[in-house]
Amino acid sequence: MALLRFSSRTRRRGADGSRMWTWFMLPGTLWMTGFLIASLVLVAVLAVGTTDDLGNPRFGFDLSGVRALADPAYTEVLARSFGYALLTCAICLLVAYPVAYTIALYGGRYKHALIAAIVVPFFANYLVRMYGWSVVLSDDGPVLRALRAAGLADGSTKILNTGAGVVAGLVYGFVVFMIIPLYAALERLDVSLIEAGRDLYGGPVRTFFFVTLPATRQGATAGLVLVFLPAMGDFVSAQLMGGPDQIMIGNLIQDKFFQGQNWPLGSALTMLLMLVLLIGMFGYLRRTRKDEAEARR
Amino acid sequence: MTLLRLPSATAPARPAARSRSRRGRADRKPRVLIAVTAMFFALLYLPIAVVALFSFNSKKSLTVFGGFSLRWYRAFVHDDVMIASLGTSLRISLVAMAGSVVLGVALALGLVRCRTRLGSLAGLIMLVPLITPEIVTGVASMLLFKGLGVALSTGTVMLAEITFSISYVTVILRSRVAALNPEVEEAAMDLGATRWQAVRLVTLPALLPAVLASAVLIFALVFDDFVLAYFTTGVDPQPLPVRIYSAIRFGVQPTINAVGTLMLAGSVALIALALFIPRLFGRRGGLDILSGE
Repeated sequence: MALLRFSSRTRRRGADGSRMWTWFMLPGTLWMTGFLIASLVLVAVLAVGTTDDLGNPRFGFDLSGVRALADPAYTEVLARSFGYALLTCAICLLVAYPVAYTIALYGGRYKHALIAAIVVPFFANYLVRMYGWSVVLSDDGPVLRALRAAGLADGSTKILNTGAGVVAGLVYGFVVFMIIPLYAALERLDVSLIEAGRDLYGGPVRTFFFVTLPATRQGATAGLVLVFLPAMGDFVSAQLMGGPDQIMIGNLIQDKFFQGQNWPLGSALTMLLMLVLLIGMFGYLRRTRKDEAEARR
Repeated sequence: MTLLRLPSATAPARPAARSRSRRGRADRKPRVLIAVTAMFFALLYLPIAVVALFSFNSKKSLTVFGGFSLRWYRAFVHDDVMIASLGTSLRISLVAMAGSVVLGVALALGLVRCRTRLGSLAGLIMLVPLITPEIVTGVASMLLFKGLGVALSTGTVMLAEITFSISYVTVILRSRVAALNPEVEEAAMDLGATRWQAVRLVTLPALLPAVLASAVLIFALVFDDFVLAYFTTGVDPQPLPVRIYSAIRFGVQPTINAVGTLMLAGSVALIALALFIPRLFGRRGGLDILSGE
């Protein structure tokens, strides 16, 4: 009897609890649905909308905004953004790998301090950092001066207002997103694996490519996604480090909403950006699924 | 499988491997790697150092240091527009922090404890802000407000920032909640507490360090946020980052160096605080920002 009562009490308690936890979830979820999901839907709807004579958006079904995307002026910008973002990913990987490797394997007791020293500046204001970076890379800045002194650059070499400047900005802005997952992967890497590679007469290069790199591939892919996402949508770097010939899709979107007042086109561009990124995300998720399935086998 | 993995994962295996590796590589220190890392740190801090250094410049130049002066800090303090923007930013950060922490903590608790289909749907919705680029969030929020006929203002920035920050709070706290033992709540209830009392008197105090740390973190993130604020702000005193953006675009002003330095110092202090808070409460319930999870 007592047992029966007890069990019915726990069952009731479980049902109550689950109802209460649902109430806990509800405000935040409704808030995000109302403000974010609804607004994303609105962007999609406006992408096929029109504007009235005053430039105010009107709902409707008009594909002129979407069709305008095929304009070479826009495809060129999209291709450039894609190229810059990919290049940024590649450079971030090349820069971040040795840094993460050195800290994870040779950092010793300074490991955490070193990683903190990388992460903390990235919490500093993005604009101020980019602005400082643009000063450093300016024609009279320390980087070009050092290059000139070393004979690697002459008076006409420029970084600002070139594509290199924009990519440098993107790398500086987002390299931390590559370092952290790589560091986490390298930290988890068993050093004796590398030793085993050496013991089996693999040179440092072969050991790296056949042991270390495959073992940290998941960290690298996560880093690539984390860098690609913000790099593709960025407009500050192209604004501060590039010229009119280096604009990215983010600048176009910004322009369509602030200067150009062509909201349907701006929305269509936004949806296009979102689409590119979703395809990338989807590919990444499939990849990790596959990796996990392989790991389980 | 677990058994097989254990030896390599436990601590004793490591020192042995390390000492062997040191012997093996004593003659070949990774000079190149260390040089690359040193170079990386130099370039990472150079822009910040330049901003900080030239904020104390007595000249207007960004390349020639004329001497130490607090001229640009004075200029900032006397710049009414900048000070108004600072006030706006502080108000936005405070409101966004309060709102997103309340909603985010509740969401984290619900997501971990509620194993219904609604729960997994909520988990998916929560991920959307994290995978949406900021510019898309910005455009979408702006269109929503305009579509609803709401004039853009400081209030709309607050709403947008809350939306964006809920996910961060939830992500930070979810692992903490999952690490709590639900049996402690059960025990409280066996001792006569109602479910709500158990949450209020047992669960929330246990989460307090992580909640405070995430609150500080959100404050810093919102204060520094530019993109979302840029798209959702009105013309009343704009948030500080938006103001800085227009100042940078329309020619270099050394005042920006002073503001930038103050903001850098503020962010660093807040991050240090966020990392330090859990220590105040002992080691339990900490916040592991650096592990990258």
